[in-house]
Amino acid sequence: MPEIQLKHVVSCTTEDPTHKADNLLSSDTYRKWKAARPGEKQTSVILQFEKEEQVHSIDIGNEGSAFIEVLVGNSSAVRDQDYEVLLVTSSFMSPTESRNGTNLNRVRFFGPNQLQKSTAQEKWDRVKIVCSQPYSKNIAYGVAFVKFHSPPDKNDPPPTTSPKLTKLGQFKVKEEPLSPAASLQPGSLFFSRDNATKSSTSLKVSPQNERLSYAAAALQAGGSSHSSGQASSSSSASPQPPAKRKFEFSKARQSSPGPPPSKKISPAGSPEGKAVTPKHKASPASTPSPSTAKAAPGQKSADRKRESQSKPEPKPKQPKPSVQQVPFKRMMEGVVFVLSGFQNPFRGELREKALDMGAKYRPDWTPDSTHLICAFANTPKYSQVKSAGGIIVRREWIMDCHKRKQMISYKRYLMDGAESSSESEMEGDDQSEEEINKKTPPKQERQVTPKKMPEKKTEDDEYAGSTDVDEPGDGDDESAVDTEDELQRVENESRQKKAAVGGKVVKQEDPYGGSTDENTDAEAEEDHPIPELPDFLKGKHFFLYGKFPNNERRLLLRYIVAFNGLIEDYMTEKVQFVVTSEGWHNSFEDALMENGNLNFVKPAWIYAINERQKILPYQPYSVVP
Amino acid sequence: MSKRKAPQESLNEGITDFLVELANYEKNVNRAIHKYNAYRKAASTISKYPNKIKNGEEAKKLDGVGAKIAEKIDEFLQTGKLRKLEKIRNDDTSSSINFLTRVTGIGPAAARKFFEEGVKTLEDLKKIEHKLNHHQQIGLKYFEEFEKRIPRAEMEQMETLILGELKEIDTEYIGTICGSYRRGAASSGDIDILLTHPDYTSQTQKQPKLLHAVVEHLESVGFVTDTLSKGDTKFMGVCQLQPSDEDEEEYLHRRIDIRLIPKDQYYCGVLYFTGSDIFNKNMRTHALEKGFTLNEYTIRPVGVTGVAGEPLLVDSERDIFEYIHYKYREPKERSE
Repeated sequence: MPEIQLKHVVSCTTEDPTHKADNLLSSDTYRKWKAARPGEKQTSVILQFEKEEQVHSIDIGNEGSAFIEVLVGNSSAVRDQDYEVLLVTSSFMSPTESRNGTNLNRVRFFGPNQLQKSTAQEKWDRVKIVCSQPYSKNIAYGVAFVKFHSPPDKNDPPPTTSPKLTKLGQFKVKEEPLSPAASLQPGSLFFSRDNATKSSTSLKVSPQNERLSYAAAALQAGGSSHSSGQASSSSSASPQPPAKRKFEFSKARQSSPGPPPSKKISPAGSPEGKAVTPKHKASPASTPSPSTAKAAPGQKSADRKRESQSKPEPKPKQPKPSVQQVPFKRMMEGVVFVLSGFQNPFRGELREKALDMGAKYRPDWTPDSTHLICAFANTPKYSQVKSAGGIIVRREWIMDCHKRKQMISYKRYLMDGAESSSESEMEGDDQSEEEINKKTPPKQERQVTPKKMPEKKTEDDEYAGSTDVDEPGDGDDESAVDTEDELQRVENESRQKKAAVGGKVVKQEDPYGGSTDENTDAEAEEDHPIPELPDFLKGKHFFLYGKFPNNERRLLLRYIVAFNGLIEDYMTEKVQFVVTSEGWHNSFEDALMENGNLNFVKPAWIYAINERQKILPYQPYSVVP
Repeated sequence: MSKRKAPQESLNEGITDFLVELANYEKNVNRAIHKYNAYRKAASTISKYPNKIKNGEEAKKLDGVGAKIAEKIDEFLQTGKLRKLEKIRNDDTSSSINFLTRVTGIGPAAARKFFEEGVKTLEDLKKIEHKLNHHQQIGLKYFEEFEKRIPRAEMEQMETLILGELKEIDTEYIGTICGSYRRGAASSGDIDILLTHPDYTSQTQKQPKLLHAVVEHLESVGFVTDTLSKGDTKFMGVCQLQPSDEDEEEYLHRRIDIRLIPKDQYYCGVLYFTGSDIFNKNMRTHALEKGFTLNEYTIRPVGVTGVAGEPLLVDSERDIFEYIHYKYREPKERSE
């Protein structure tokens, strides 16, 4: 039974900062999704399949939920009612267990007999998992893992059998998280660059161990098992613990006749206890189906990032096919858009088009949103997004991209008349810049310290060599693009400072926004003189905590990015500096427990660096309890 | 549940009596089950009301008592009678149909059919006995006896006997006498036994033998005297206690139902058949509010689109209350 690949998380009601919904996308069973707070009445997550699939069986590992229901739908579905029940609300914990907090991680297997017949016979591309825990107010609950299997007879052969493909898949796994949508992407990029010092990529594994979490360690285990033996073909078969299964054990077994159910017994054994031991189990890359799916872009989870770094082994051996167009369906991956001022049916049409191209939709502006598609200026959302510093574009952007089946830079469609400025026009032409970058390596050196230069080269060979045309995923291109953007920004900034013009810099807020739009049929006026960029904050990872007065957040983001620092959207272990203007917060202590290298600094540090135009010690700007 | 609901003693007995009578009229003659329920609900709340009701206005404040019923209460309190009821009583059709339905085996439909054939009284029925089915013949035969309430003492005797005999057959049998008896009623209309056995669950095949063995055994000890119907899971019949002393007066024939229920559905069944029906309704409403659907077989969570989930594991009545966050109530406290 081939496992159905999950592409990305469409939405979820709430998620715990460490136990994110994205965790469900990986097949590692000890990464779970939990609600942000205990005692929520109901939580749900919507997952996107790589493609339309028929669901034959489902394995669910519980994480404190009393009941779990699985519904299916299509991307076009918007409302709850558009989802149909595939697995009726099923019990995972009794009230007593819930109250006592026992048996939180029951695993159940649902074969075809337990799924709703009519729904199971159709193809769907989305699943919605609804959890509830009415019996305990103290458990932040969710799902430890979920696996969907398609019917045994079809879709298995190619990806499972061909190691080549698997490796290709792995390659993609690596590539995806670097796509612009991944908010942690620059971090991981630098991170991997650091690691690239080792000449043989497979050696990377060990040094990483020190820094990576248990999850990554486990992944590495998975990865190495993969490289040593062709574990890939069998590993997808339900690796759940037989011990945990509840009622339907035997049935589920019967219903999975295909591959010998699991060679690797119970890696997920008891997620609570054993999580730390590396598991000899399917790392995402070794799962059979095309793992493109695995690594949907838009992945924000840090886990994913680690994943990608933890097994770059096969990559050098398996260069990517040289010409690979961005598929239409994924053109807009990384774009998270919000609509304003459109009425149905046009609204629906517009949304549909964008979704078709792989963009994600949000009904309202959220921190992860990237673009506001606006019918006319001065809608409430317009003002909101403008003040939040989001990108506001006209609908033609979507329409044209869709029509031309091509990702066109949004910059020409900016709502607030940015199209008038020639700079923005050029900014948009990332692709050409990208190319230029490749052709002229010195440019890259400029941003990399000379020492690191050789690694850089290595990477170039590894990744970029044959993939030049390819999308933003590629590590190197990516960084280049970013840098170019940053250059542009700094330039803009200085220009603005001179001109004392404030308003037009909407896009600055989104540090990676620019890199989303590749493959433009760029005009060639690229050789605009690019100013030197200071690298004061290079390699430093920042996290902006809490509220900042008066747009200060935006300013900080701009400086940090301009000085080549890295912004983390979430509190991950990569973060070295937490910038806050709110003073000491109790949670900092906890964060310090987790990561001793954290420094809490005042925004003033960043401003000072800007004023003095050189790196300054952060200590005078520390935030202390 | 028995065919006739025993009127509960209360301060407002007169009111509740006429409401129950109206209820039965609606059910039996008009086949209007919702009106029946409405009257029953009003009767139920009024019977629990601690004061003697002085007027309709006062009653109207109670749950389930609306303008129309309040009006009737006023009329009843002022005149001592109810024109509508008088009319019903005098109406040949309704009184006859109402009467005929008191025979077990004759429901509203059969009663109407007999009535249209000119059958109106017990004597008429006896004349056409050959046209009655077996069940109705038994009903006719024991008509007077079945009309009599069963005193609690006798119920207790029967319970001891039955549970004792069950253990004789197979110690694993679990039996519960449900109905108003379990709720502590002083008298009952009939005896209702729920039976289960660990070997029988909703996943297994039907096991009529489990039921038939019990019935046959109870027949062999002379307790079960007649059979009205016997299926795979439900036995309906007649039973009679044997006098222990020679000079003791003979016991009456009683209606007995025995239901064989899969073990996993047993406690939902016990809850359901313990009632009262109005308690059940309230409990189900509460269950729905909490996102569960409860019936005599199972309790299931309801999904976001309203699809009922898988049956939940129930090992006692308490489990059901627990699932829906409902304060557990002893059977005695369920007579609302």
